[in-house]
Amino acid sequence: MSNGYHIVVCAGIVPDPLQTLEPVQTPQGWGLKNEMMLPAVLDPWASHALYEAANLAKNAPGSKVTLVSVAPKAKLQQVMMTLAQKVPFELVAADAPAGGFTDANDVAAVLAEAIQAIPDLDMANLLLFGGWESASRGAGATMQILGEMLGITEQFQGVDEITVTAEGKLQILERIEGGRHQVSECAGAPVVLGWATGNLPEPKNNPQVGMQNMRTVMPSLQKARPAALSGEDLNYAGIEVPKATRETRIEKNMSADEIAQEIVAWIKG
Amino acid sequence: METILYLAHTESDGSLGKAALESLTAAKALAEQTGGTLVAGLVGEDVQAAANTIAGAGASKVLSVSGADFAQARYATDAAAAEALCKAAGATLVVAAGDSRWNRVLPGVGHRLGGRADLHITQVNGAGDISVTRWFYRQRMEGSFTRTQRPWLLGIDPGTQTPWQGDAGDTVVEAVTVETGDARTTVTGVKAPNTDEQTIRPDANVLFVAGAGWTKKQADGQTHVADAEKNILGFLQAAQASLGSSKSLVDLSSEGGEVLSFMTHLNQVGQTGATPRHPKGLSTCCHGEEPHVVGWRFINERRAVNLDANCGWAQGKADVLYVADAFEVMEKVNALLAE
Amino acid sequence: MNELPEGIERQGMDVDIVCVGFGPAAGGFLTTLSRAMMNDDGTPAIESRTMPGMPPQVMCYERADDVAFGVSGVVTRARGIRATFPDLNPGEIPLTAPVKDEKVIYLLDPHGASRRSGMLKLADKTLGLLKPVLGVKDHAYELPYIPPFLRKHDGLLLSIGQFNQWVGGQVMGSGLVQVWPGTPVTKPLVEKDTVVGVQLTDQGVDKTGAPGAGFMPGMEIRAPLTVVADGPIGPVGRQLDEHFGMPEGHHQRDWAVGMKMVVDLPEGCELEPGTVLHTLGYPEPEIFGFLYVYPGNVASMGIFVPSWFDNPVRTSYRYLQHWMLHPYLWKHLEGGTLRSWGAKSIQEAGRRGEPHLVGDGYARIGEGSGSTNVLTNSGVDEAWTTGTQLAEAVIELLKEGKDFSRENLEATYVKRRRESWVEEEGRIAEHARDGFQKGFIRGLIGTALAGMTRGKLNLACTAPRPHERIPSIEEYYKGRIPPGEIAAIRKECVRKGLSLHDALMERAGWPEIPLDGQLLMSHQDALLVGGKVQAMEGYADHVVFIYPHLCERCGTKTCVEICSAQAITMNPEGDVPLFDREKCVHCGACIWSCSEGREDDPEHGNIEFRAGAGGLHSAEN
Repeated sequence: MSNGYHIVVCAGIVPDPLQTLEPVQTPQGWGLKNEMMLPAVLDPWASHALYEAANLAKNAPGSKVTLVSVAPKAKLQQVMMTLAQKVPFELVAADAPAGGFTDANDVAAVLAEAIQAIPDLDMANLLLFGGWESASRGAGATMQILGEMLGITEQFQGVDEITVTAEGKLQILERIEGGRHQVSECAGAPVVLGWATGNLPEPKNNPQVGMQNMRTVMPSLQKARPAALSGEDLNYAGIEVPKATRETRIEKNMSADEIAQEIVAWIKG
Repeated sequence: METILYLAHTESDGSLGKAALESLTAAKALAEQTGGTLVAGLVGEDVQAAANTIAGAGASKVLSVSGADFAQARYATDAAAAEALCKAAGATLVVAAGDSRWNRVLPGVGHRLGGRADLHITQVNGAGDISVTRWFYRQRMEGSFTRTQRPWLLGIDPGTQTPWQGDAGDTVVEAVTVETGDARTTVTGVKAPNTDEQTIRPDANVLFVAGAGWTKKQADGQTHVADAEKNILGFLQAAQASLGSSKSLVDLSSEGGEVLSFMTHLNQVGQTGATPRHPKGLSTCCHGEEPHVVGWRFINERRAVNLDANCGWAQGKADVLYVADAFEVMEKVNALLAE
Repeated sequence: MNELPEGIERQGMDVDIVCVGFGPAAGGFLTTLSRAMMNDDGTPAIESRTMPGMPPQVMCYERADDVAFGVSGVVTRARGIRATFPDLNPGEIPLTAPVKDEKVIYLLDPHGASRRSGMLKLADKTLGLLKPVLGVKDHAYELPYIPPFLRKHDGLLLSIGQFNQWVGGQVMGSGLVQVWPGTPVTKPLVEKDTVVGVQLTDQGVDKTGAPGAGFMPGMEIRAPLTVVADGPIGPVGRQLDEHFGMPEGHHQRDWAVGMKMVVDLPEGCELEPGTVLHTLGYPEPEIFGFLYVYPGNVASMGIFVPSWFDNPVRTSYRYLQHWMLHPYLWKHLEGGTLRSWGAKSIQEAGRRGEPHLVGDGYARIGEGSGSTNVLTNSGVDEAWTTGTQLAEAVIELLKEGKDFSRENLEATYVKRRRESWVEEEGRIAEHARDGFQKGFIRGLIGTALAGMTRGKLNLACTAPRPHERIPSIEEYYKGRIPPGEIAAIRKECVRKGLSLHDALMERAGWPEIPLDGQLLMSHQDALLVGGKVQAMEGYADHVVFIYPHLCERCGTKTCVEICSAQAITMNPEGDVPLFDREKCVHCGACIWSCSEGREDDPEHGNIEFRAGAGGLHSAEN
């Protein structure tokens, strides 16, 4: 690839997964209790997509990575301070709610608009990355809809690996049932890749990368325009946290032999 | 009145998979509750045999998109097929299995048709306003909702419905033609672990969850990773169990720490991992909280072996907690299973 | 420090100001500074020296993974904070409320298990006799009068996590300051007694700091001014103290570990938002407690375990549980649910522990600079104020084109600080707590004297070094548990990996904790459920036992017992304790709870607390 790829990574933010989440009804619809005070992280699957994008860009000269995010500006800014240290990217941000009860169609529409407005967008070499679902909304639909909006019909979901072959084709591994991967070969960009976890570890925090990113991240955040999510079509009847508490029988004094016998009987029963 | 399209693809042997039959249950329920018409739409290389197996399902007609192009699970052809079938059926509701093949295309197809698609549906309710239920925030809360937009495409989460059972018979299949254009993607194969390395078995009776404790220092101040591997693999083989793991244990493997050699991200449950459905789950050496626990939200019977009687992972979440050394217990369990 | 492997260079970067740590002091500093950096027309009001034409390049590095992962139980008069934000609306910041009702409560011991002096027992008895007259209820006596120096009636309840997040958002929103979380700073760069910047922590190293896979040496961030705001246990501040020494007569020998929880109160709880309760007397006389009520039926509560509490096996967590279970508190708490948990060290020497505030190229602000006031029990607002004072000084120096020499910083920052209420009140508090060195009642009298006479009268004394006052376990339990039995209990605990503190407390008559898995949970569950503790891979251990022979001769292992997170544990195979980085909450209590003084540095114990990553992941503390 002489021109390299333009890898556009779509990534929202979600509450740090360790936080306790409680749904509440707000004047704006369903949300989380104290949503704005929960520390946020980049959506985990989308993070994997970003790390994979950075890795691919590093190995395909001439490539660049643009991160497109739809999230409340204030929260996004904080997430960026951590993320910007990890891999190089340019940021395009839209200021909009990022809660789990937003509609994937609305989010896709905002993303599509933001992506189409990227001045030097290279459609012919576009690899559109994102998580295969978000850890908040969990719809598993945004990337497909976005792909359609951008007219991309080569789409892959649950991706764990992408390799550029010697001929410039893309070999892609998608998760399918039974702990297996479907292997596909695609002639080339443009494609949509909804990532599962991939195989790369989380990159370390590198202040130099951070400095480099901040040159574009800060201005992009300041430029981020409010975007409206219509939510017209979707009506929630209710959101509930399951009553998960069970009566746990705690066996402190059984011997290993007794426990083993009981477990085996239970498994076979 | 609603027209409900039951959308299914055939497996490589021409049959309908379990997930497809489960979603048929949901489609039929919707048709009955709404008083709507049920139409079947099948996609595959050759769908006649599949059409015959659902002869008793009560579909007013069976449409198909078939041919060599549709043997492969790929976006361009599958989306075109689904789009054509929805149009041909005049569908207002579309019900399909939420498997990897349909999940890949349903949202895009919904968009093409000016409709909406929702995946990971666990319940459908056709009484009154049609509503569906699915999980949000990684299985930490469940929401039910309605939509006004049509067609509405629903991907039904595998394992949430009883597979449809009914009489087979000769079925007339109406072929729908689809222009596929130049598909730029070819499916070249499937990569699966060797049978003896198989650690993920979606249909297993038991999910074995391994926690980070397996690779940590034990009472003697040493790690015993080789013993841990032997115990875990031994159990997976003997019980034909599926293996799940906490995130921390999986992460170690990508960071070069001392690890279980067979553990990959595919094994991860909870957080960014899977939330598999199995009748039974046995958790060992785990210590965690809510984000980990979601990993076994859909395990019916749960037991745990842990050294901490107050373990938050187990207390209130497992049916039985054995306070014991998992190394010792699992060795004995394996010995008993081998008998 | 380990040498760099061949072919790998340590990168460097030049900025104008590098700030270490993001807490209230840095918040005050960066807020004030960033407001003065630009003109209304978008041109820089002050110009960068490293990037001419641009505003000053200001970097702030924070060890924790988010700016919101601080810990404090904050009730504050917020004088400094309000001076910065005159239109502050508490409703804008989550977990914030105006103070409405204050009480000081003396808690009696319902179990008779605490260690009380003869005098205190007498006082308890008197209270018992006068019960109907004094209104003693639920084993507690609400003091009819709160001394003015303790009152916070015009103040605010805050969550330091939420406050920091709010401040951080505004500071970063200005686009003029970069605050980098998850970035520990290893050391100051000192050249010829001038601080020229800092070095960030190496990543991709093993436990010992040796380069491993993915090694990335920490960058050198060079700056004309280094602002040290890394708190009481921050490695940069502590290394500066080591390099430059402390001013004559100053020392940091008074410490406490504060351990807290944020709790969803049970439905129907009668405590009103804005309620402030301060307790003393229980679970041990030396342990003070607090409970503050936020809107939304949420409370922040905790205890302080001080360095002058002479129990060598002092596990704060267990004491916190007994404190919550006191009938006076439990009637409000029963049925509550843990939301958050955390711990931190407090530098209680205050003004007397003040290091050299400035030197060539650096300035110290916040708690590590001795700003905490132990008489008024206030630290956040003082820290904030020192930050704003430094910012004003820095703006002045930058505008005048003066450099950050010791003289210039003395004439601007130190001068402002000396003329402020922080200094005035810090002076009053200087000897307020001294009495506690010699007993609880003496301590109360000393505090009252200092408070009522504005520091003119006190029971001053020179505090011994913490390690000098930690008795052996046998001494502490003399007359209560025979030495032979202590030895047997200890052996059993090491063998089973159980808490010695728990075993000894139960033997001494403390009841078992009735765990409910909701509010009363195991220590490790509190860490996971409440503290959400995490540590990224690839960093070295930051707690280091310097001389093994000192650990070998140590019989108390107070470091193990005080460890807020059970990250330091007994070593079944030797005498040097084990450290588990993944559990550490960076409270730093181990630093001042080592009972072995170093031969080469008798002021300090045998534990080095270096820069480390990770820790708490709760934004509510």
